[in-house]
Amino acid sequence: MLGEGILKGMAETARNFAGSFVSKERLTTVEYPEERIPTFENARVFPFLVYDTNDWEAGLRCVACQICEKECPPKCIYIDKSKDKKPDYAGKQQFYPTRFDIDISVCMSCQICVEVCPFEAIKMDTEFELATGDRFGGLLLDRKQLAKSNEYYHRIHPTEAAEVDVRLAEEKAKANAKAKAAADAAAAKAAAAKPAPHVEGAGD
Amino acid sequence: MVDQQLKIELGKQGVLVTTIEELYNWGRRSSIWPMQFGLACCAIEMIATTMARYDLARFGAEVFRPSPRQADLMIISGTVTKKMAPQVVRLYNQMAEPRYVIAMGACAISGGPFKQGYNVLKGIDRYIPVDVHIPGCPPRPEALIQAFMTLQKKIDAQPLTGEGRPRHLDAAAQGEFPVPEQGEHDLEPTSNKGVWPVPVVIR
Repeated sequence: MLGEGILKGMAETARNFAGSFVSKERLTTVEYPEERIPTFENARVFPFLVYDTNDWEAGLRCVACQICEKECPPKCIYIDKSKDKKPDYAGKQQFYPTRFDIDISVCMSCQICVEVCPFEAIKMDTEFELATGDRFGGLLLDRKQLAKSNEYYHRIHPTEAAEVDVRLAEEKAKANAKAKAAADAAAAKAAAAKPAPHVEGAGD
Repeated sequence: MVDQQLKIELGKQGVLVTTIEELYNWGRRSSIWPMQFGLACCAIEMIATTMARYDLARFGAEVFRPSPRQADLMIISGTVTKKMAPQVVRLYNQMAEPRYVIAMGACAISGGPFKQGYNVLKGIDRYIPVDVHIPGCPPRPEALIQAFMTLQKKIDAQPLTGEGRPRHLDAAAQGEFPVPEQGEHDLEPTSNKGVWPVPVVIR
């Protein structure tokens, strides 16, 4: 019959309209500024930089390798690499970014920077309330605005952050074992006049 | 001028004290009618914003007008191609003052992922003044609502006289903006003077 679909739709609307007086579930509107839909764990908006410890500048995981800058499809990341090195969160001497800007007026939230980062330094944020009248000042985030703590990362993406922490701990343990083996080998070499026997995993 | 504390105190007693400016701006910000016009994928989010789940009608903006003559707000929702840009500027010129523009999404602000292409305008703010920018690709419906609230705050803060008054009360304000034309290689002019101040890069 002609118009049957419309009638069915209108019946559904009428049922929801009448039902909304008795059932709260039929009230679909989420009154945004006061209440909000809980974000999904994998929700993503713009990238941010993760830092460990309490000092955002010293704790940045980023070592300015510039892979994300090169991979970024719309080219919205700008990095200046430092001339000197400083110890990162694990105590290893690393370069650091003297400038790390993300132009969020260009960013398309593709997450490729996150996927290519070998240091788990850049992750996706869920903050979306970024509307501004300031075209240039408000939409270019520098490294201070981008730096967010690991605790914050755990809060917005708990499962993913836990996996990352396990992976980083493993890598750190491996690096420590390697350093220890190298130190042992050096000590043995110094103790004996002749070269020490080769130690598994030493050197390189 | 009544101070804020006294006003709240009087409000509790059932006495409403207001100024013409406040009343006028309250009326203006509570009835912003957007223009019904979408350019690309961000328009889908704009449509979602007006539907029951997010309900832009709560802010007095449910009436999307199909004619620029009846609209106050232009939401540039999506990629502005160089072919479409003259039409967008023309529609803006046809809107009555006071008029406002929200640039929604990366493409409308800066060209976004297409900014290195040949056919996309690198930001609509080259031709018309933009009041609020929303970054995102696309921005969530909540982000559009938040931008809308930012615009309402801006309207609320406008004085009716003197510096920074709305354009319809300013006889010297620019009413019509030059519509660009397709040139040999690019749109001509590439930007409107006075609208697009070339940013100074400080390193």
